[in-house]
Amino acid sequence: MFRQLAARFGGPLSAAILALLGIWLILMVTLPQLQMIDYSLRPNLLPDQRGGPEDGWTLANYATLFANDIHRAIFFKTLWSSVLVTLLTLAVSYPLAWYLAKVATPRQAALCILLLIIPFWINEILRTYSWFIILAFRGPLNELLLMLGLIDRPIRFLSGDGGVMVGMVYAYILFMVFPLYNAIESLDDNQVRAARDLGAGTLRTHRRIVIPHAKPGIATGCIMTFMLAAGSYAVPALLGSPGSRWFTQIIYNWFFEGGNWNQGAAYAFLLLVLCIGFMSLVMKVFKVGLGDIAK
Amino acid sequence: MSSQRLMALGLRFYVVVFFAYLFLPLIVMAAATFNDSRFPTVTPWDGTTLKWFGELAADGAMWQALTNSAIVATGVLLLAVPIGIATALFLNTVQSRAKPFLYALILSPLLTPGVIIGISTLIFWRQWGVGGGIFLTVVGQATFIAAYVMLMVTARLQRFDRTMERAALDLGASQWQMFRRILLPYLRPAILSAAVIAFLQSFENYNTSLFVVGYDTTLTVYIASKVRTGLTPAVNALGLILILVTVLLAAAYEFKRRREAARVAGV
Amino acid sequence: MDGSVRLEEVVMRFGDFTAIDKTSLEIGSGEFFSFLGPSGCGKTTLLNMIGGFLTPSEGRVSIGGEPMAGVSVNRRPTAMIFQNLALFPLMTVFENIEFGLEVRGVDRRTRRATAERLLSLVALEGVGARRVTELSGGQKQRVAIARALAVEPRVLLLDEPLSALDLKLRQHMRSELKAIQRKTGITFIYITHDQGEALTMSDRVAVMSAGRLQQVADPMTLYRQPATGFVAAFVGENNRIEARVIDRLGERVRLDAGTLGELEGRVGDEASLGGGAEVALYVRPEQLRPVAAGTSGDASMGGSTLVAEVESVSFEGAWLMVQARLAGSGEALRVQLGSEVSRSFADALVPGEAITLGYDPAETVVLPRDDGPQVDEATGEVVEATDV
Repeated sequence: MFRQLAARFGGPLSAAILALLGIWLILMVTLPQLQMIDYSLRPNLLPDQRGGPEDGWTLANYATLFANDIHRAIFFKTLWSSVLVTLLTLAVSYPLAWYLAKVATPRQAALCILLLIIPFWINEILRTYSWFIILAFRGPLNELLLMLGLIDRPIRFLSGDGGVMVGMVYAYILFMVFPLYNAIESLDDNQVRAARDLGAGTLRTHRRIVIPHAKPGIATGCIMTFMLAAGSYAVPALLGSPGSRWFTQIIYNWFFEGGNWNQGAAYAFLLLVLCIGFMSLVMKVFKVGLGDIAK
Repeated sequence: MSSQRLMALGLRFYVVVFFAYLFLPLIVMAAATFNDSRFPTVTPWDGTTLKWFGELAADGAMWQALTNSAIVATGVLLLAVPIGIATALFLNTVQSRAKPFLYALILSPLLTPGVIIGISTLIFWRQWGVGGGIFLTVVGQATFIAAYVMLMVTARLQRFDRTMERAALDLGASQWQMFRRILLPYLRPAILSAAVIAFLQSFENYNTSLFVVGYDTTLTVYIASKVRTGLTPAVNALGLILILVTVLLAAAYEFKRRREAARVAGV
Repeated sequence: MDGSVRLEEVVMRFGDFTAIDKTSLEIGSGEFFSFLGPSGCGKTTLLNMIGGFLTPSEGRVSIGGEPMAGVSVNRRPTAMIFQNLALFPLMTVFENIEFGLEVRGVDRRTRRATAERLLSLVALEGVGARRVTELSGGQKQRVAIARALAVEPRVLLLDEPLSALDLKLRQHMRSELKAIQRKTGITFIYITHDQGEALTMSDRVAVMSAGRLQQVADPMTLYRQPATGFVAAFVGENNRIEARVIDRLGERVRLDAGTLGELEGRVGDEASLGGGAEVALYVRPEQLRPVAAGTSGDASMGGSTLVAEVESVSFEGAWLMVQARLAGSGEALRVQLGSEVSRSFADALVPGEAITLGYDPAETVVLPRDDGPQVDEATGEVVEATDV
C-alpha cells in the first residue's frame, strides 16, 4: 500500500499520510475500544492491587447488570423506548419525506429543506431545552390545554418517559427525514401514477409500491435514530426525572459518581452491543448493506 | 377523486403543522428570554426585560466555557482536517483487498454512539496519566469528526481528473510540487467546507465531550449543567444568541455554497 | 539538440496480456513521426513508454542517445499533449504555460517573456490573462501546445490531440502543427487512428496492429508499396483478390484467380513467392478502368481484366464510386472512376449492369496470404487472420 501511495505522492508525503491514518485508526479508534473492552473484563482494583492475584479477566462486571434489578429494568426500558422512538419518528417523518420527494415543487422542496436544516444547526442541548420550557409544569403547553378546557390540572410531562421520548423524536427527526427523502426521491413518478391508474388507493400504493422501494432509506433512518436514541444522554438528562433514568445516565454514574470505571466500561460495551445488534438486525431484515448507509 | 383531494389537502396541512412543531419550541424559548420571571417560561408573562442578558454577560463560568469551546474547536480543526484529508487521499489512491475492512473501520466512529467514543477515549488515555481536559476533548471529538472531513474531501477528490497529475509530472514537477500546486488547490473548497463543518460540530458536541471535558467545561456541557442546577432565563439569553449566530452562519454558508457551486460548475 | 528516439526490443505486458510485442524502432531527430492504427493496437502504450508513464517489461528506450531506464516522467526530455488536454482549470493561460518553468525555479520575468513568445508562436496573443475554462476548443488546444513547448522538450508526444475538434478546425490545426514542428525542429511523435492526419502531416508513419509494427515508411511508400495485407487494406481503400501464383518473372507474376481467370500483378521484394504460393492481389479502386467488354490481352492494359456486376453507384463530385460484385466469385469490388468517363457511360451504370474493368499490373501489389490481422472490407473492422 505504501508503494501505491509513493507512486503517486512520493515518499515523504506518503509517510505522512500513513502516519496520520495510523494515528487515527489505531490510536484514536481501535485501541481505545479494545482498552474499554479490556477494562470491562477486569475488576475495579485499588492501585496497589493491580497486577496482583485479583487482576485477571472476569465477567463479573457483566453479571452485575443482570443481577441488579433496577439496572436491568432500565437497560430493557432503554431498548424498548428507543424502538418506540424510532417507530414514532418514522411515522412522523414519512409523510413529510413523501411530501418533499414527490408532492412539492422543486422550489417548495428546496425551501422546506432549508427550513428543516436551520433548526438542526442549533445545538441539540438548546433544542431539547426549548422543549423543557414548553413541557414545564407551569409551561405554555399546560396553560394551553387548561385554557382549551381539555384538562383540569396541569400534567407533569417532565416526569416519566413520555417527555423524554417526545424530546427524542424532536431531536432526531432529521436523521429519519433525509434518508427517507433520498430513498423516496429515487422512485420513478410513473410507478405511482401507474398504481393509481390501475385503481390502487393511497394506502395500498404506499404499502405496495413506495415503501418497498424506500426500504434502504427506512433502514438507514431507523438505524440512525435508534442509535442516537439509545446512546442519548442530553435528552433524558434534561427532560427526564430520577424515576425515568436512561441507560447512558447509569453509565455516566459509574464513571463520575461510583468511581468504578470497569463497571462503567462493561455497561458501555453492552450499549455498543445493543446498537450493533439492532443495526445488524435491521440490515438483515431490510437486506441493506453498509455502503447504503454512507450519508 | 374527492378523497384524493382530501388526502392532498391533509398532507399540506400536515406539512404546515410539522414546521410549526419544528420551530415553535425555539420561538418559545427565545421569547422566554424577555420574560421577567425567574423560571424560564412564557406563561405567566411577568413583564418584558433585558436583564437576563446582563446576568449572562456577568457569568464568568460561561465565558470560560465559551473560551474552552473555541480552543477545543480549533484543536479539533488542526487534528481532524489533516487526518480527514490524508484518509481521503489514501482511499482514493490505494487498491487493496483490505479496503472494505478499512472503510468499515473508518466509518465506524460515525456509527458509534458518542458516549462510547468519550468513554473509550477517557479509559485509553488514563493509562498514560492523561485525564479529562482540553486535550482529551480534542482527541475524542476528532475521532469522529475526522470521518466527516474525509467524506467531504472524498466527494470532491473523486471528481478530479488524474490526467492533470500526469500533465504536471510531464512538465517537470516533482510529486510534492504536483500535490501542492495542482491537487491541493483543487481540493481547497472542500477542505474549507469541511473545516467549517468540523468547527461547528465540535462546538455543539455534547455526548462525547461530557465524558472527557474534566474541569475544562465546554459551552454545551455548561448549558446542560446549568439547566439542571441554577436555572434562570440567562440560559435562554445564551440560547437566543447562539440561535441568531447559527442562523446567520447557516445563511452565509448556504449563500456562499450556492455561489461556489455556480462558479466551479465548469471545472 | 538530439531528439532522436530509439526503441530496442521493447515488450509491454499487463498481467498475461501482451500489449506490445518485441518492437524495435528508430525515430530521427526533428522528424514528424506518426503511429497509425485501430483502437487497441498499442500506439498509446508506446507513447506512454516513451514519455515515461509506463516502464517496459523488456527492452530499452533511449532518447537522444541516452537510455531512459529509471528516468522518471518529470525528468525526461519529453512533453505530452494529452487527448483531453489536461489544462489546469483553476489557472489562467499564463499560469498554465508558465507551470513547467515555475517548477524549475525560473524567475517571473523570464517566465512571462517565454509565455508571451509561445503565445504568439501558436497565434494566441492577448489571451494570457484569461482562465482556461473560458477558451474555445481550438484555443485550449493551442494553450496545451504552448505549455508543452515551454519546457523545451526534445520530443513532443501528441496523443490524438485533434480528435475532439470539428472538421474545419481539425484541418486548420493540422497545418498549424506542421508549421510549428518545422519552426521548432522538435521531434513530434503523433498517434492517431485517422489516416488522413497521419498521411498528410508525417515524414514517416508506423502502421500498427495488435501490438506489432506492420510497416514503417513514408506515406507514399505505405500507400503504393504496402508490406503486409493489413497495411494494404488499412491505408486507403483496396480490393483484395485471392489467387495462386502460376509463375513469376522478376517483379511480374501470373496468377490463377480461380473463377476470375488469369490475372497479373506486381510483387514487392517478397522472395518467397514462387510457383504455387497462395497470395492476395491488391488493386485500388482508382486503378480500375473500364474497358470494352470481352477485351483481354490488351497490350496497353497489361492484359488483366475483371468482369463485375454493378450493385450501386454514388456520385461524389470529383469521382464516381461504383460498388460491384465480381462475376464468378461474387465478392465485392469497389471502383473509383474519374472524370474521363463520358456522361453516357456513367448513366449506363445501373444496378445489374455488367462492367468490364482493366488495370495496369505494375500499379498493383501482390502479397502472401495469411498475413496476420486483416481489415474486413465490409465493416472496416480489424479481424484476426483465419487460416485458409
